[in-house]
Amino acid sequence: MKKVLKYTLLMILVTLQISQAKDIKISAYVDRNTIDLDDTITFTVKIDGTGNLPDVPPPESDGFVVISGPSQSSSIQIINGKITAFKTVQWQLAPTRSGAQEIKPITIKFRRKRYKTPAIHVTVNDRQKSSKSSRSGNVPAPQTVSPRPRQNNKNNVFLKTRVSKKTLYKGEELIVSFDLYYQNVRTYAPQKLPDAKGFWTEQFPENRNPPIETVVVDGIAYKKATIRRLALFPTITGELLIDPMIINCEIVVPRQRRRSVFDDFFDDSFFTDPLLGSTKVVEVQSDPVTINVIDLPVQGKPDEFSGGVGSFSIESSIDTLQIKQDQALTLRYKISGSGNINGIKLPTPQFPTNVEVFEPKIERLVNNKGKSIRGSVSCEYVIIPRSSGQLHIPALTLNYFDPNRKRYQSKSAPGFNVSVQPNEQSSIARSAGFRKEEISLLGTDIRFIMRESPKWQKIGSTVFNQLWFWMLNVISLSIIGASLAFRWWMDKLENNSMFARRRRALSKTTASLKALESEMGAGKYETVCDRLDRILTGFIADKIGLPVSGVGAKEISTALSDKKIDPTIIKSVETVLKELEQYRFLPGDPEKQKIRKLVGRVNDLVAQLNKVL
Amino acid sequence: MQKYIKLFWLLFTVYPFVISAQDNADFYFQKGNEYYMEENYPEAVRQYESVLNIGYESPELYFNLGNAYYKSGQLGKAILNYERALKKKPQDKNIQFNLKLANLRVKDRIEVPPEFFLFRWNRKIVQLLSTRNWAWFVAALFFLASVLTSIFVVGEINRFKRQLKIAAITLFFCAGLIMMPLIQRYQMEKSRAYGVVLSSHSKSLAAPQEGSTELFIVHEGTKVRILDTDGDWSKIELIDGKQGWILSLDLGII
Repeated sequence: MKKVLKYTLLMILVTLQISQAKDIKISAYVDRNTIDLDDTITFTVKIDGTGNLPDVPPPESDGFVVISGPSQSSSIQIINGKITAFKTVQWQLAPTRSGAQEIKPITIKFRRKRYKTPAIHVTVNDRQKSSKSSRSGNVPAPQTVSPRPRQNNKNNVFLKTRVSKKTLYKGEELIVSFDLYYQNVRTYAPQKLPDAKGFWTEQFPENRNPPIETVVVDGIAYKKATIRRLALFPTITGELLIDPMIINCEIVVPRQRRRSVFDDFFDDSFFTDPLLGSTKVVEVQSDPVTINVIDLPVQGKPDEFSGGVGSFSIESSIDTLQIKQDQALTLRYKISGSGNINGIKLPTPQFPTNVEVFEPKIERLVNNKGKSIRGSVSCEYVIIPRSSGQLHIPALTLNYFDPNRKRYQSKSAPGFNVSVQPNEQSSIARSAGFRKEEISLLGTDIRFIMRESPKWQKIGSTVFNQLWFWMLNVISLSIIGASLAFRWWMDKLENNSMFARRRRALSKTTASLKALESEMGAGKYETVCDRLDRILTGFIADKIGLPVSGVGAKEISTALSDKKIDPTIIKSVETVLKELEQYRFLPGDPEKQKIRKLVGRVNDLVAQLNKVL
Repeated sequence: MQKYIKLFWLLFTVYPFVISAQDNADFYFQKGNEYYMEENYPEAVRQYESVLNIGYESPELYFNLGNAYYKSGQLGKAILNYERALKKKPQDKNIQFNLKLANLRVKDRIEVPPEFFLFRWNRKIVQLLSTRNWAWFVAALFFLASVLTSIFVVGEINRFKRQLKIAAITLFFCAGLIMMPLIQRYQMEKSRAYGVVLSSHSKSLAAPQEGSTELFIVHEGTKVRILDTDGDWSKIELIDGKQGWILSLDLGII
């Protein structure tokens, strides 16, 4: 047991040792890379690491000789148990010939690893030439042509634009950093921030004291500080330009000194303190950068694409799952993540029809404190269920594009089932100024449709152009008309005897003739002629309006001729009446045959007279 | 094959005449009901509108159409159709109820000034029956009066003569009296004096031209009286008496 403990402790110690023995960082640089032949340069090797640092071999170069050194300085810091150490080794080198010279790379072996510094190129100008030119017009020595046209190399300061990507999707985040490389800048002030047309720009907070690190560019050590960071989200596609950023730098210019024997003495850190030099202000400009923005892929693009590009998550919450009808309920959706948080359009939830939904409250929060832009969109819906029962709020899906995976992603926020209890008193209703009877209506749904096929009416038709209405009225009117006419007729028959006789003449006569004929059939011929005479005279008297009794043949013929009756009819009436007279007063039975003929003639006459009278 | 072609042609030519227009109306109506029950409200609306397009109407149709519009969230059109249904069938409780419910969702809550009680009674009486029923009533009374009169005139009844006479005269008088609500009701049904605002909100201007002073805003579903029209504009009056001009396109006439 003790043994095990001992080994474990040992193991822990060993791992601690290993974890502390981190890699080292090695850099080599010169103070200038253009010198005259009679000048010297300082060559420095700097090693950063933890704990023990290796030894540095002297520099090798065909064009330089070491005139002094190595001078070594080192420092160890322990902050919160973390050890940081660095060591600088310096040599003074003097050129042996003019032209482009190279200081060979320095190789250091440390903990089975080889570290190598880059070779450093130094241009050595001929002293004669430079003195000649200085004599001729005091023109300063020509500068090496810089690969960067905009950098202010004379003052050893330049601004570099660093972009996280050269090609990106529309809406994808692009981090743009502006790094200031300098040697002796005291302060700087931004003059103009870059214009980025076609981008939605989000700024990271400005760090007044950015971390400074030492980097070597073309063999010269610079201090590097990231002075400004921006997050750009392209809103259009194509080639987009990020304009340069311009800053003003206050640069410390070292004092002009005569070269003297005291140079070495004064060439001390104390005397070369930047505070002792004069300053000047230079304008430093970064390079413009072109970015290629491509559109989002069409393939797999969901119908309800939110417009979000990045990495997001969606969550939903509800304040209660049990509520009374007509009481407000708060439903929240929150989309959070990194990406174009301002470009996200929230999907609209599909609410059931029996709820009232108010305009949502949308809140966007952008967090620019981190390495990339993060943030959240909150959306708060206030909904009021208008009927009791189960209220189902469906899940909400957010579709966005993930540029890292290069495809569309979808995330869902869960839905909810809310049980809504009926409520007689409605708080909303009271506030909206409804009357009491209306409040009770608020919670109910509309009545269901009528399912039976109705009686169709032609559009525009009214009762007044329908037949039945007019028919019924005409029938009613004709009933009244008919009854009145009937009444009038009856009254006339009753009150006017002449009229009544005339009206009834024919029916009376035909009835009498019929009775006569039946009697004749029975063989009774005694009174036939007498009766026949009376029938004919009675008919004519009724028709013309003569007195009922005491009408002779003479009166009849005169009355008929007064009525302008056809004379032949009058003649035949007269003959028939005469014959009947003869038979009446003839003794004995008249001839049956003749009497029958007479009856027939009377019949004909009655018919003829009825027509004309 | 020949036989089938003949049969086909027969069907093709005869079939349209077999199905009468009213059957078509029934067909679309029932189809609309089916869609409504499947909660496919836009399609239900389409079917119900087809009935109107072939020239038929009924209060039930307007009621169902109103329901379908209500369910699909078109409050203005829902109220317009309920009002049309109610115009045809003022006493129907279902129509009254749904209209009331729909009106609760209208943003403009205009207090209706109280109606003079005689007018209210008159309106209630007039609305008791539709024009058709009033006309039936008048015609039936007239017919009955005619029959009684004819009995009185023709029949030789001595016992009930007086009563018959009184009854007939009363009936005639009633028929004449009922002519009044009939005419009022007819004018009510024929009138195009009321409308419903269909657009979500419509500016009411002082004059019938764009850019004139804005007086007030009416919202979807508000019932207005149409006083006048001028080109594309209609002069409206709200129940509380406010007047203004709005675009005729924003109005649906009941």
